[in-house]
Amino acid sequence: MADVVLNLVGKLYAGNIRAVSDVSFAVPDGGFCVLVGPSGCGKSTLLRMIAGLETVTDGEISIAGRVVNRIEPMHRDIAMVFQNYALYPHMSVYDNMAYGLRNRKTPEAEIAARVAEAARILELEPYLKRRPKQLSGGQRQRVAMGRAIVRKPQVFLFDEPLSNLDAKLRGQMRVEIKTLQRQLGVTSVYVTHDQLEAMTLADMLVVMNRGRIEQIGEPLYLYENPATIFVAEFIGAPPMNMIGLDPAVGIPAGLSGAESLPVPPTGAMLGIRPEHLHLDRGDGERGSRLRLELKIDAIEAVGAETYFYGHLGSTGPRLVVREAGRGVVPTDGARAFLADRAHIHLFDKASGRRIEM
Amino acid sequence: MEKRTVFSHKLLPYALLAPQLLVTIVFFYWPAGQAVYQSFLIQDAFGISTEFVWFENYRSLFSDPAYYSALGVTALFSTVVTVLSLSFALILAVEADKSLKGAGIYKTLLIWPYAVAPAVAGVLWLFMFQPSLGVFGKMLNAAGFNWNPYLNSGDAFALVTAAAVWKQISYNFLFFLAGLQSIPKSLIEAAAIDGAGPTRRFWSIVFPMLSPTAFYLLTVNIVYVFFDTFGIIHTVTRGGPAGATTTLVYKVFSDGQAGGDLGTSAAESVILMLIVIGLTALQFRFIERKVTY
Repeated sequence: MADVVLNLVGKLYAGNIRAVSDVSFAVPDGGFCVLVGPSGCGKSTLLRMIAGLETVTDGEISIAGRVVNRIEPMHRDIAMVFQNYALYPHMSVYDNMAYGLRNRKTPEAEIAARVAEAARILELEPYLKRRPKQLSGGQRQRVAMGRAIVRKPQVFLFDEPLSNLDAKLRGQMRVEIKTLQRQLGVTSVYVTHDQLEAMTLADMLVVMNRGRIEQIGEPLYLYENPATIFVAEFIGAPPMNMIGLDPAVGIPAGLSGAESLPVPPTGAMLGIRPEHLHLDRGDGERGSRLRLELKIDAIEAVGAETYFYGHLGSTGPRLVVREAGRGVVPTDGARAFLADRAHIHLFDKASGRRIEM
Repeated sequence: MEKRTVFSHKLLPYALLAPQLLVTIVFFYWPAGQAVYQSFLIQDAFGISTEFVWFENYRSLFSDPAYYSALGVTALFSTVVTVLSLSFALILAVEADKSLKGAGIYKTLLIWPYAVAPAVAGVLWLFMFQPSLGVFGKMLNAAGFNWNPYLNSGDAFALVTAAAVWKQISYNFLFFLAGLQSIPKSLIEAAAIDGAGPTRRFWSIVFPMLSPTAFYLLTVNIVYVFFDTFGIIHTVTRGGPAGATTTLVYKVFSDGQAGGDLGTSAAESVILMLIVIGLTALQFRFIERKVTY
């Protein structure tokens, strides 16, 4: 098996268009690395550079200790699952999976054994003789996976493999991919724009924005310690609430307990996740907690939890609160919420970076 | 899914079909019927008396060695022209599909010959290869080839073939290029990752995916060679020398128009029609089955 190491990798397209700059990270052997970011952030370009489908204009990519910058895709010992599956339409499911092995002059008996094994794992046995056109989206997705696993490559690359599936199937395939990757222990790099997919699949999450890495780490670490405003807003649904603090203007109306926060002269963003705001029932010590008064616009009760949507101090920024259980508050009402100091985040407004407290 | 349109008025669909039907009837069924009727008639040399003779024209045709010669010429001509024009067009399309500098200019230039009328194409090639005046004709003779399409039947056949191929490449090129461009790029990338080199990628992925296009072109090209090359043959060789470039359609013309033998000419055109119908049916029956996926 193999690790994948990127060292100051960059991509400059013709016409001086920069897609990726200074990307460095290392995926350990057997690790599951997810590149996540909005469209156009360079994550797919990066994946295609690892695959060898795009040239690397700066830096070095190595797989299993070997620099692969100038090595053809076929000699990198990788397999890739494409967004549109890229199945060969004129071949049967069996031939689709066997194609890569035949190109490598694998004996037919072994091909048959490996395809049978993959078909068993992916529950594709009844469909081996069909053409891709005769399969459903989920089945095509499995064939694409099968084509990758029969080759027993050192690295799996996934380019938004689930984005063409409906929501229910996507959730199901997500779990299957995760299980399969654990079983096979193959180092994987996975590209997605869906933060939920990224959070659930990754051992190692790489958040990208505008061709640069914003933060790297375990998903939950990133969730709890976002290094930048971008990561804070990108990871988590509903996204983190953000309240601007400007020393020149003073504390926004409706917010109290924020006086002692280390706000730089250029201003800061105060971030609080929806689940870290709790209804102030007026029955305890406020202590050092922050108190936010919201004018509630709407309430969504979805059973296990209740979402409150409102504005801070009635005209301030729009905030979301997630309370466990069912809290009944009349619409148009004003309510106060408390947030623990341990759960609040502060970012420098100018640089977007986290301010440690 | 099948698309169905519901018309509010009963006559409307027929009214909408009428122009197309009218054109087909006036320009196809009527003349075709006339040809069949004509093929059963013999006219005397002065056109004064006409006699109904049933299959006499066909009988005399099939005992005429010149007719078998035309049949052979047509078979060879259509095979060579189709194979060459499809192959050249495919090579050019594959090259033009690569991201070259100025690819747009190449594409435009490659399409131009299609706009040239067959007769004009014939004249152009004759100008170039005329043995005593043409640039290339003189070159060939200077290089020691005894080039003379007026006298040498092989030379005449080669010249007509070259002109016919040149003219048809554009059309085939256009369709091949469109076919190549409709193949998703990720398929080629997947094959590259799957360990297929450029040659293997072409034959195992690209070519099979082009086969519906190739099949369509095969049919269209055969029809082209059977009928549309008339203009080229007429301007370059007039079917000669000694019938070496007389195809079936040219014989229909030379017997009927030049020879004044309308009955025989009509019989030939009826046979020609049957051959083309048969070939097309055959192609759809046997080849199309292999190319659909």
